[in-house]
Parts: sequence; C-alpha cells; structure tokens
Amino acid sequence: MTVEASLEPVPPAWSVKRWLFTTNHKDIGILYLLTSIYFFVAAGLLALLIRTQLAVPDNAFLGTSAYNQAVTVHGLLMVLWFLSPFALGFANYFVPLQIGARDLAFPRLNALSYWFYLFSGILMLMSFFAGGAPDAGWTLYSPLTSLRYTPFLGLNVGAAGLIMLIASVTMGTINFIVTIIRMRAPGMKLRHMPMFTWSMLLTVGMMLYAFPSLLAGVLILFSDRALGTMYFSSNEGGSLLWDHIFWFFGHPEVYIVLFPALGAVADILPTFTRRPLYGRKYILMSLVAAAMISFVVWGHHMFVTGMNPAVTKLFTLTTVAVSLPFDVITIALIETMVRARIKLKAPALFAIGSVMLFVIGGITGVFLASVALDMHLRGTYWVVSHFHYVMVGGSAMALIGALYYWFPKMSGRMYNEPMAKMHFALSFIGFNLLYFPMYMALDMPRRISTYPADAGWGTWNMLSTVGSFIFGAAQLLLLYNLFVSLKRGEPAGPNPWQASTLEWATSSPPPFHNFDVTPVVSNGLIFLPSGAGNQALAQSPAEGTSQETHISYWPIFVGAASFVFLLGLVSGFHVIQISIALGVAVIYGYAREKFTARHEEGAETWPLQRVENAKLGVWVFLASEIVFFSALIAAYIFVRVNSAAWPAAGEILNIQHGAVNTFILLTSSFTAVFALAAARAGAKRELVAGLLSTFALGVIFLLNKASEWRELIDHGFRFASGLPASTYFLTTGAHGVHVAAGLVVLIYLIIRAMGGRYSKEESGAVEHFGLYWHFVDIVWVFLFPLFYLI
Amino acid sequence: MLPSPAVSNTYETWTGLFNTFATLAVVVGAVVLGLMTFLVIKYRDKGASSKEPEDAPTLGKIPPSRGRLKTVAISLTLTSAILTVLLFGTFGALDALMNPPQENTMDVTVTAFQWGWKFKYSNGYEDTRELRVPVGKAVRIKVLSDDVFHNFGISDYKIKMDAIPGRTNHMWFRATQPGDYVIQCYELCGIGHAFMRAKLVVMEPSQFEGWYSNTGAAK
Repeated sequence: MTVEASLEPVPPAWSVKRWLFTTNHKDIGILYLLTSIYFFVAAGLLALLIRTQLAVPDNAFLGTSAYNQAVTVHGLLMVLWFLSPFALGFANYFVPLQIGARDLAFPRLNALSYWFYLFSGILMLMSFFAGGAPDAGWTLYSPLTSLRYTPFLGLNVGAAGLIMLIASVTMGTINFIVTIIRMRAPGMKLRHMPMFTWSMLLTVGMMLYAFPSLLAGVLILFSDRALGTMYFSSNEGGSLLWDHIFWFFGHPEVYIVLFPALGAVADILPTFTRRPLYGRKYILMSLVAAAMISFVVWGHHMFVTGMNPAVTKLFTLTTVAVSLPFDVITIALIETMVRARIKLKAPALFAIGSVMLFVIGGITGVFLASVALDMHLRGTYWVVSHFHYVMVGGSAMALIGALYYWFPKMSGRMYNEPMAKMHFALSFIGFNLLYFPMYMALDMPRRISTYPADAGWGTWNMLSTVGSFIFGAAQLLLLYNLFVSLKRGEPAGPNPWQASTLEWATSSPPPFHNFDVTPVVSNGLIFLPSGAGNQALAQSPAEGTSQETHISYWPIFVGAASFVFLLGLVSGFHVIQISIALGVAVIYGYAREKFTARHEEGAETWPLQRVENAKLGVWVFLASEIVFFSALIAAYIFVRVNSAAWPAAGEILNIQHGAVNTFILLTSSFTAVFALAAARAGAKRELVAGLLSTFALGVIFLLNKASEWRELIDHGFRFASGLPASTYFLTTGAHGVHVAAGLVVLIYLIIRAMGGRYSKEESGAVEHFGLYWHFVDIVWVFLFPLFYLI
Repeated sequence: MLPSPAVSNTYETWTGLFNTFATLAVVVGAVVLGLMTFLVIKYRDKGASSKEPEDAPTLGKIPPSRGRLKTVAISLTLTSAILTVLLFGTFGALDALMNPPQENTMDVTVTAFQWGWKFKYSNGYEDTRELRVPVGKAVRIKVLSDDVFHNFGISDYKIKMDAIPGRTNHMWFRATQPGDYVIQCYELCGIGHAFMRAKLVVMEPSQFEGWYSNTGAAK
C-alpha cells in the first residue's frame, strides 16, 4: 500500500485528522506543549495530595501506599513527562524558525517521537490501575524495586512507559542535532544562532549521552523482574549498581531540564531590557562547560553510601567546579539589566524571577556539594527544597515566561497582561511560601508519609501546604488567560515585542513553510532576500524533490503498535503476537510511504559539511547505542569485580562456539562492505549477492547463538542461575536483538535492491545499513573476549 | 528546627561548617538578590522619559557583542575564592567526621530492616527499641541492612550513613551530653518508612556501666 502523501492538501486546524497525522514542526510543537501541560496538571494534583497529607502531623488523609505512589509518580511525571517535553514543544516550534529552516530534518520521525511520548505517558498512568503505580521514589532505588520487595505489576508497566519515553527522546535527539548542525540559513554560523537554539543543541547533546544509561538501567530492572536475572537483587550488584547507572543519567538530566529555560531567559532578557545580552560568548562557553562537567558529578548523590573518602572528595571538587559556569551565566544575565530600559511585562517578570529563584536554589546546592554537610543534609527536606527551587523556580517558571513570550507568535493574539502579572505575583509568593519553609525543616526525612507532633515540623509543613495551594491555584490564571485570549485576545503583529531573532520576521502564526524566502545572514544582518535574482523556494521546488509534505498516517500507528507491544510485554503473550502483526503492517506502511522532506540548498552545515542528513542521523543514533552498550558492559564489569568467585574462561561457555560466531559476524561485515562497493559501482547482481550473504551470515550467527543458549539452558545455566548467567544472557541477548533488527532492515534492502532501486547516486541506504551493521559487529568484538576469554 | 546544645563531636564539627556556609550564603544571596532588585527598579522603563538604548534589539540585526572579560574574571575569581574556603572547610570536617579514634571506644552493630532497627552490642546483647551509649566514649558503628536500602540517621548529631544490603558501612560519634535523641530512617524503604524510628539514650558513664553489665552474655 503506497500512500502518495505528497500531493495531499493539509487538513484545516479544526479537524481531528490534522492533529493525528501532522508532521509539521509547529503542529507537533503545539501537541508537545498541550500534552506536557496535561502532565503538569496531573502531577500538580498529586503534589497537592501530598501537601494535604503532610499539612498536619499524624495525618491519615492518604495511606502510606497511596502516598508513596503519589510521591513517585509526581516526580517521574514532572521531570520526564512535563519539564523536558514542555521545552521540546518550544524547541519543535521555534528552533527551525530561529535558524531559518522549513521544518526539522526528519518530520515523520518528529511525529513518531511525539506519539511515542504520548503513549508512554499513558502507560505510566495506567500503572495506577495495574496493581499500583511505582512507589519507590522517582529514583527507583534497588533492591526495593526488585520483584521480592515490589511484587505487583504496576512497576513493570511504569518501566515500559519509561522505555517508550526514552525511545521518543532518542528520536528527538537525532532530529534536533541534524537540524541544528545542517539546516541553518546560509551565512548563519553557529555563533550567530539565538541562545534558545544553542541551549537546545546542548540539551539534546546531553540527552544523547545520558538517556541510554537510564535505558540500560530500566532494561536491567525489567529483566530482573520479568526474566529472573539478578543484577539488582544481588549484593554484588544491588543498590550501588543501580545508584551508579541511574545517577550517571540523573545528574545530566537535571541540566537537561534546566538548559532550555536558561536559553529562553537569554532570548527574553535582551528583548525586554532593550540591550544586547551581556557576555554572550562567555555564557555560551559556560553552558558548554557545564554540559560537559555535568557528566562527572554524579557521585554527589552517593556521598553516604560508604564510598572511598578520596572519591567523595573528588566528587565534591567536581560538583563545586560545576557551580562556576553557572556563576558566570548568572552574572552575565544580571549585567544585562545594567543601563537597560526594562519593560516589566509577564515574560520579563518570569525570566527575572526565575533567575532570582535559581540563585537561591544554586546557593543551597553548594551546601549539598560539601560531602561533610551532606552527612546530615542527605535525604532531608533541604534537598527537596534545593531541587524544587532550581527545577520549578529556575526551570518551570522561566518556561512559563517563554509561554507568554511566544504565545502571540503561535496564536496571533496577545494574552491579557494584567492577569498575567497577577499570575506571576501569586506564583512567586506561593512558590516561596511553599518551598522556603522546607529549608527550616532540614531535619525532616524525605518521602515520609507522616511525622509525629513532637518532631517540631508541623508549622513548616503547614506553611508549605498553604503555599502549595496558592501556587497551584495561580496556575489556573495561566490556563484561563491563554484559553480565552486564543479567541478574544488583541491581534498580535509579527513582532509585538520588537525582538531580534528570526521567528519574529514572519507572520503570527507563521505559514506552513515558515518563510516565503530562505533567510540569509550576511554582514551582521539577517534578511529575507527579494527581487528577481532570488528563488522564492516555496514556489519552485529544489531539483529532485517534490513539494514538501506535512501529513503522514503512519507515525501514530507505529506509536500505537509499539504501545500495544509494550503492554503485551507486561501483560500477556497473546497481546505481543497481535502487536507484532500490527507492527509489521504499520512499519511496512511507514517504509513504503513516499514522503518528501525539505532539502535545504546552500544551508550552513559547518562543521559537518560532508555528512549528509540521513547519515548524520545514523551516526547520532549509533552514539546513543554506544552509551547504551557501554552501560550494559559496565554493569557486567561492576558485578564481576564485586563477585568473590566467577567461572573461569571456558568453564561454562564454549569458547569455540563464541569464536566461530565472531568469525561469522566479521565475515558478514566484509560482505556488507562488498555490497556497498557494488552499489556504488552500479553492479546490481553483486549488490544483491553481497546483501544476501550478509543476511545468511547473520541468520547463521543467530541460529548458532540459539543452539548455544539451548545447550547452556539444558545444562542448568539459565537466566535465573546467578550473576554469570544473568550478565551473559542479558548482554548477549541485547546484542542478538540488535542483530535481528539489522536482519529485518536487510530484508527491506534486499527487496529494494532486487527491484533495481540502488545506483551509483542512490546508495545511501546501503551505506547507512553498513554503518549500523559494523557497529553491531564491533560490539560483539568487545563482548566475545569479555565473556568468553576472561 | 529547634536549636540544640552541642550534644556530640559530630554536632560541633558539622554545625561549625554549616554556619560558615550559611553566613556566606546569606551574604552572597542578599548581595545578588539585592543587586537584582535594585537594577530592576533603577533601570525600569519609565515611559517617555527613558530613551531607547542605541544597541536595542532590532529585527534582522545580529546583536552586537557586549561585556568585558574583566567583569567575568573578577566574578569567577571571587566565587572561586569563596568556594576554595568552603572546600578546605569541607575536607577538614570530613576527616574529623570519618576517622574514628582507636582508644576509649565502644563498638555497636546497627542492622536496618523493614521497618525497624536492631542494635547489637559487643557482648551479644540485642535490642530493637533503643541504642544506649555512655557519654564520652567514641561509639563506632557498623551499619548493615537485612533487606533493602535504608539510612541510619541521628539528626541531632548531624550524622547518617546508608544501610545497604551486602555492605558494611562505618560511622562514629562521641556524645558529650546525656539525653534522649531520635534515630530515624532517611531512605525510602517501603510503606513503613515513616515509622522506622528508634531512640538513642545517652547515659552518664557509671549508669551505663550498671545497665550494660546487667544485659548478660551473648546467647
């Protein structure tokens, strides 16, 4: 079934069909914004439940089990399903506009990442009805999350939701990196890009390296619970293994939720102070430094686990060091206000307010960086207050400011300014009343469902609860304001704030193709060239591509099929079978669709001028895979080093089996290279032969592996046999799944090759497959000695 | 948070360091927030009487560069100086908190479980309601867990240590005053987390000796 999507007209904005099948970045941006606001409200209501329970000592409003679920899901939803997707909503809408592109690099993939996000959230919420939502805190420490201590299904459902969300994030990462590097307007060097786009580039860069670690952790947890492996339930792995894997992700994650907010503030402040940003290049250097340092501070979440004091001192050092770039950024933002003409409209109020709250949160973070102080502060409300100051005060409030800032552009209407100012005042007061008392309750443990009257925490908790209701109620003003202004707001022109970035150069809202003419940057000016000499690219398509499409039926169905598959993984085998059948059908439809994306002629692409978009996408994907497999391998090394005894080489695993498989896989890489050479030479028969032999070798590898596994299992070496078995089966199993996925892609390539679809010019797909295949082989080259030879 | 008298060596070490941090925090915070408030008021738009700055953002113009390296350098240097002071304080305090003395000591094993504490003394006596120690001795504690990840915390002494299954962690303190204190779990460990409390009873040395000798030998 081929869908000729390219000539379909785009359905109007009021039709359901438009929103289900759109691939346009602006539509998807709005979908992300609306969905993330839904999760903000859901998680916010959970917060109000928590605060009600804690308002007075010895309260029985919420039972302990319900309380623990509320606390856990509140954290998960806010961090993963609200803050980042909210930022991604703005990123989707405005990054292409800010760099002068028509859309993201891979519009259908963009739609897919949205549907994965939505369905993943549904999975997480479904966990409430699957015997109880996850209740071990959003940090999901082991071994509390093992089957023995959390026997109900809800955690599996929540974990499935997490896996789907990580897939969504990875797709988004690929899209944004390729777009920002390779689709900038002619003349727009990296240093010319607006601060929000810069912050998104760094954010997705951090996502690329952090999320695969979480994926490995959640996968191992899933495997422990569903397959009987013993990574987190054993003493050799256990709490510390999870701690390392989770916090290696967890610390960069908090900068991932912060950076878009900082970027938005850095775009908003110049607009409302009427001065250029102070120290722009130092801010950029600091953001890059902070992004990199964020990966070497994770130990500060583990200060009292009994780690070697020398190591804790090192992490204290790196954590304190990371406050330096933030110091530079804060000073620069403050200096921007000097000799300015500050217009205190809502976006500016939220931006400046968020910097103030970020300063308070940041200072209290320095306390936590000190390993000696952490000896008392760990696990107390000091921590809770610190991270809410930076995540809600620093990040969420700034993003709400961004919502006011960009609302006129997205809707073509101005919001009600007095109501927005009232929203700010109530939010600011409510926020501080909610969180500042928590510093006073610094002896109170986190996540306790109640406390005794003689603890002395009653007053602080009551103040906090009052603040929470003020803060929560204030958000109703935001929702009401924007909803009503959509219809009754004053019409907004293209640039109501007199800003300088490119999104303000087009109408409000922008047309589908964003700009009538491709912007050009030259001599410090960005302009839209007009006149006889310049092509109006909307009217005359670039050679080789037809008019771009904005509609595809497949992303939502692929998302739905994946949702059903994951549901099947946690509930029943027959569901998996249905989903696989569905999945095959929809992926086939997706692959067959003739979808055309914009090819930007003359775009700025430094420093990757010679890596075309699809290839760069594959490289980015492979980078995430490298982190994923590194985390799996690191987990194996961790448990092995901590184990007193481990089977010697050859004692259980058959070295010959492994060696033969290694040889087979390496040969298959050779045949893949041969196939590519044939494709480039236009030799169809040799190409098909090369692809077929690669396929055959891959199949033999998997058959070999299957027989090897069968032999091991027959001899009593199975998933639940202990750590050597757990690590062997999970790691080589994950690798095997990657081989199988490669074979599926190969079938597609072989069919197309036999139909003569590849030629000297059009051999990209064969090359991209080759990159993936070689990567999978290289992983095996590491796994073979690690498991068979030592 | 009620003020408590100096009840242990850990309290003194920790509180001394915390007060240093807190003083600097309040000063820096007041300066920065005060400066921001001042700037917002002084440089707010006063309508017609304020002039639009020359380098105001203009659509289509790449913003000019603004700012001096000197300001950034001064700020970084100042911050680094403050942070260095805090780092030295931290490392000094850490050494004081981490290294137990070898003389005049008493050893106790604390085992966390869902949802309570087992205190075992060197003579084998075990109790789950309270931990009794004498004033003046360095109490060296081994922290263990029977099941999941807990955290053994004595908030009045400003000290805690993770109780991780399969792992033995160490902490110590020296009580300087008699009294009753709260022991609590500081890591979410299931539905009984909020109720995982016990009592630390600090006795005069002679009274402690009397009590201890009556607890009998190990069974």
